[in-house]
Amino acid sequence: MAQSQAVAIHYDKRMWESIRNKRMELQCCDDCGSFHYPPGPTCPKCLSLSLSWKPLSGRGKIISWVVYHRQYFDDYPPPFNVVAVQLAEGPIIITNLVGPEPEGSWIDREVEIVYEPDVRGEPINRVRLVP
Amino acid sequence: MNGLKGVAAVIGVGESDYVGDHARVRAGEKPHDSNGYAAVAFKRAIEDAGISRDDIDGLIVGPTVAYERIGEVLGINPTWGGQQDAMLAVIEACMAIKSGLATCVALVYGNDQRSAAVQYGGPEAMGGNMFLSYVYHAPWGFTSQGSLYAMMFRRFSELTGCTERHLGEVAVAQRLAASLNPGALMRKPITLDDYMASPYICAPLHLFDYCLINDGGVALIVCEAEKAKRIAAKKPVAIHGVGRFDLNRGATSLEPRLLDFYRPAQEACAKQVYDMAGVGPEDMDAVQIYDSFSCHIPFALEGYGYCRSGDVGRFMAEEGIALGRKLPVNTGGGHLSHSYMQGWNHQVEAVRQVRGECGARQVEDCRFVHYNSDVAGKAVSIIYGV
Repeated sequence: MAQSQAVAIHYDKRMWESIRNKRMELQCCDDCGSFHYPPGPTCPKCLSLSLSWKPLSGRGKIISWVVYHRQYFDDYPPPFNVVAVQLAEGPIIITNLVGPEPEGSWIDREVEIVYEPDVRGEPINRVRLVP
Repeated sequence: MNGLKGVAAVIGVGESDYVGDHARVRAGEKPHDSNGYAAVAFKRAIEDAGISRDDIDGLIVGPTVAYERIGEVLGINPTWGGQQDAMLAVIEACMAIKSGLATCVALVYGNDQRSAAVQYGGPEAMGGNMFLSYVYHAPWGFTSQGSLYAMMFRRFSELTGCTERHLGEVAVAQRLAASLNPGALMRKPITLDDYMASPYICAPLHLFDYCLINDGGVALIVCEAEKAKRIAAKKPVAIHGVGRFDLNRGATSLEPRLLDFYRPAQEACAKQVYDMAGVGPEDMDAVQIYDSFSCHIPFALEGYGYCRSGDVGRFMAEEGIALGRKLPVNTGGGHLSHSYMQGWNHQVEAVRQVRGECGARQVEDCRFVHYNSDVAGKAVSIIYGV
């Protein structure tokens, strides 16, 4: 086994810098105004090549969740959760819910991004329930 | 659109000895590499077809082996060659035949994934270079193709009321089919209670929702329809229609998976394949569905019109997807209980059901069998029949 590794293709580098600085940014299209995830060379919506990095509001809602009972990475011993969050800006990101867990269904619960140390001690974006 | 309707037929099928090879692999032996499994399957397929290698003028090879090397190993110099997954190999063979670039195409697959310890999750997750979603979310611990389907099924379950126990119908039905299939790896019947008591791997999915990992090979011989009648030893099984629709937009952020459950792709694919074949879901005697994970089945049953949208939990529990019930699905045991040949063994099962060769698991008076898959948002469909 090994530790989890980020895929850091060309366009991902700026996003990871922003996460490490605890102020996550994604690309926003200068022409149609849509945000995208993961980062890339184009706006998949309108094919614009003109994109600007903008900070996220940090708000979103859970659209699904799982709980791992098997270990795949050294730094993720089970059980642990993974949530799919639709950001207020539109894109869906995959992350972890920290802090209190909802009773019953997690779907549509409001969350906000928080930054916690990853296995290497560097900040990574996770979410917690909005009180 | 007639498209590829009736252009070609399957005249031969072959599989390696899944059961014997699996026992040998588990005992620490290595019966073959991927090329070897492919070669065993190819020899059995041409024997089944009653043809010689010289009748073959096309070769399409599965994704885990190299086209050039398989061509060399099998000694085939074709007028058309290519590399495709199971379902697209069938479609490409039909296209090559329709265009006159080949008349009799061998489709060949081999995979030593068990003995080679191929990983489908974790740091060495296979396929990540093709589908970014398989590896992109690793920094948050999200890995393995099973967890992508667990995430998808959780939302589906919450929105539609298709519960874990409803989903358990899939594993139970397919194990029943495998118990009647001497070629299947997992033959001991299980109950819904066994399913519910089985451990979670990535909740809400249980152990029994995951496919097997085993070595093996599969081959099919697809031949132009008139030539098929002249050269085949058995009655050819017609390919009545094919369909395809891919959802690529938003794939890595899982939008088509989590927001749409791939439904738009399945509906577009369904229209194409049913229109081409001139038959619909009500005409199907059995359905084969790519099942790396059990939840492919409820998604497909709704997407291809086998039940009303949002009703699949009740459909599976009350009307039934096991042999002898309303709609037999994965009649050989599928990837969960027969053999994980990445869609290839489903094609073989479809052909054998139409031929009436399936013994204790034979679907009575089986005229049409529908195959479909939704691997990574790529909806593909094929209708086989008399």
